[in-house]
Amino acid sequence: MTSVIEIKDYTWRYLHTESPALNSINLTIEEGSFVGIIGPNGAGKTTLAYSVDGLIPGQYNGIKKGTVKIFGKEVESYKKGELQQVVGVVFSDPEAQFTAMTVEDELVFGMENIGLTIPEIRERLEWVTELTGLSDLLLKPPYEISGGQKQRVALAAVLAMKPKLLILDEPTSMLDPVSRKKIFEVLKILKTEEDNTIVVIEHSLENLVPLADQMILMADSEIILQDRTKDFFKESGLLLEKGVYPPGALHFFHELSNQGLYRGEYPLTVEQGKDLLRQLIQ
Amino acid sequence: MNKTLLGYVPDESPIYAVHPFVKLFFLLIVSLFPMFVTAPDWNIGLMVVIIIFMWISRVNMSTLKIYIPVAISMGTIIFLSYTVMGGTHPEFELLARVAGVNFYWERIRDALVVYFRVLPMIFTMVFFLSTSRERDVIVAMRSIKVPFVVTYVFAMSLRSAGMVLEDFHIVRQAEQARGFDPAGKSLPYKIRQYVMYMIPLFALSLRRSEEFTNALVARGYAFTGEISKVKRADYILTHYSYKYFDYIFIAIIGLAFVALLVFRYGFGYFQVDQSWLIGLLREAVS
Amino acid sequence: MTEGMKSEITGKEIWTVEEGEKRSIGVIHIVLTALLIGIGFVVGAFGSISFPLGFGVNFFWTGIVVQQVGAIWFGAWGVIAGAIFPFFSNAIAGTPFYVSIAYLPANALQAFLPAWVFRKFKLDPRLKSGKDYLYLFLAMIVSSILGAMWSVLVVLRGFDLLTTDSVPLFIWGWFGGNVVAGVVFNFIMLKVLSPVVIKTTAFVKKWWA
Repeated sequence: MTSVIEIKDYTWRYLHTESPALNSINLTIEEGSFVGIIGPNGAGKTTLAYSVDGLIPGQYNGIKKGTVKIFGKEVESYKKGELQQVVGVVFSDPEAQFTAMTVEDELVFGMENIGLTIPEIRERLEWVTELTGLSDLLLKPPYEISGGQKQRVALAAVLAMKPKLLILDEPTSMLDPVSRKKIFEVLKILKTEEDNTIVVIEHSLENLVPLADQMILMADSEIILQDRTKDFFKESGLLLEKGVYPPGALHFFHELSNQGLYRGEYPLTVEQGKDLLRQLIQ
Repeated sequence: MNKTLLGYVPDESPIYAVHPFVKLFFLLIVSLFPMFVTAPDWNIGLMVVIIIFMWISRVNMSTLKIYIPVAISMGTIIFLSYTVMGGTHPEFELLARVAGVNFYWERIRDALVVYFRVLPMIFTMVFFLSTSRERDVIVAMRSIKVPFVVTYVFAMSLRSAGMVLEDFHIVRQAEQARGFDPAGKSLPYKIRQYVMYMIPLFALSLRRSEEFTNALVARGYAFTGEISKVKRADYILTHYSYKYFDYIFIAIIGLAFVALLVFRYGFGYFQVDQSWLIGLLREAVS
Repeated sequence: MTEGMKSEITGKEIWTVEEGEKRSIGVIHIVLTALLIGIGFVVGAFGSISFPLGFGVNFFWTGIVVQQVGAIWFGAWGVIAGAIFPFFSNAIAGTPFYVSIAYLPANALQAFLPAWVFRKFKLDPRLKSGKDYLYLFLAMIVSSILGAMWSVLVVLRGFDLLTTDSVPLFIWGWFGGNVVAGVVFNFIMLKVLSPVVIKTTAFVKKWWA
């Protein structure tokens, strides 16, 4: 498998700060995987996302040590605009990502930037609006759509560029539960039908965990834990210590385990928990 | 309803059939007409024509009410400038002297001429703003090959103005929640209010600049470098095409302007001494 | 990438591009220009509608702070925004199209002069000394005088909107409307926000980056 992201001994300190935002990060993510990154606020998750997309050091001043390679090439070696053709980023604030006057203009903007022709744009527009359920909103201006719809627009605008690596930085933090679910439904389709590598930074584990192949825990500017999802959540104690609450079903069984009432694997989802509980009762 | 730069136009309006460039062309050329016409009758006629266009376009005519205070204050300023502050001019015909202020016929005539030159220019602008959606202006600019960065800055400015207004309301509510309510307060208090609004508005805009930049860069946009030279498909223009009547309108506007110049400078038409309105007024005051 | 800066820098150092420091025009400058136009549009329209003298001339024009402070912080981008946004705010307030266009040089100059003075004399945008205050005040005065003279003498007289005899009132109106509003807003905006702005990547040391 090809490594999409290869980060070695990477440290980044923003200018005018005393401690690094990322400290000795070592991370490899393989092509086609779905990775979840979790951690308390200030852990360095967003800085990591920016580092992978070239926003750091491109848009921010600071001190960099180590290497960050995307598709085998150091981030700073990419020409302006080149890295963004292979890496797509969706940020947490939907309001701050909508720079055009209508939904359609927003979706088309990225495709025009990378020089697609009109037939290509038309085709991708149809695909991405179908995927994200935006067909009825194309001519709407930003002030006429909800936060959840704006975030779907932001996701669609990035997907339309067909990046090989998709990074979502807390994409649902400002959304209501229903809108949050819709975003993850799109991600589920992407996982099953497309060959993107997807990295999601999230606090909402209920939606993330069923999709993630791999999980990473960040805290205090470092990667504390990285493992396959099922094995990752065996370290519930560590997660709780770092201020990360596991999915509800897992947390419940962890507490049972602490009370000596359960010994076995923890379920990751409510469905799994239900099945496990049924088995236990029977 | 469709939101225009100045209000709303119903979904069904003949104005949408017209290519946005025609509206921009109308604004640019027709705004020039009054500059070559001193006879108020013609300028009043132009105003009537524009009002008819607004009515045909189904613009909400109450939009014009916003400009009544502007028209009144502007008329007052012009009148005062040409009379009270017009100075002493023995070469002019003195009509009356009131409280030490001279009212000359030539000054009053000139004030009327100027007023009725400015009004149609304002009406042309109002017509444009009340029939053009933000997207129309961008399409019009792209149609005449204005560089993309210019049209994008324009579009983002409009977006930003809307966001600043929203921020203003939020900041105002936050200030009021803290007991800072300027209602019924003195002028210095109100000025302090503006300062307390301005600082957070600026700060919010600065923070937003970073977020917008990240969003643009993430979409592959660059202002410099090779990527900035990529030929853009201008997808937005695919929704708009010129129809035969667009060419007719452009021709009519252009020819009308040429005819205006020919008659004005070639045959001396549209001058103030040919105005029946001025003639009528002259008879009334003499 | 640059090394960390000292926590307290001087006015001169603020404007100095350090050895090895790389600064270049970027998307942030385009975005800033647009945002400044947007904020100026709202603030300027408020002044034009609330305290009108006529033809975009106002007794108390709040837009001056966006023009002058924006140009001090963001150089040529602030000058561009300062020249352009009054066109929008005047349009909404009922100023004819070509009159608004003709105001562009006056607005550009009002934005340019304070920005030039700060860069030429290495003044501190955080207004740390009496010299900073004085030079800013003088720049505001001179730029408003020149702006008033262009706008009233060239534009308003050029369009015959005013008589020669009434020109002084309008010059005073333009000048006073700018200077009074500038005194109220410019100093406090620079004092409060400059410490933050000068640390951002958007801050322009030269004219373009």
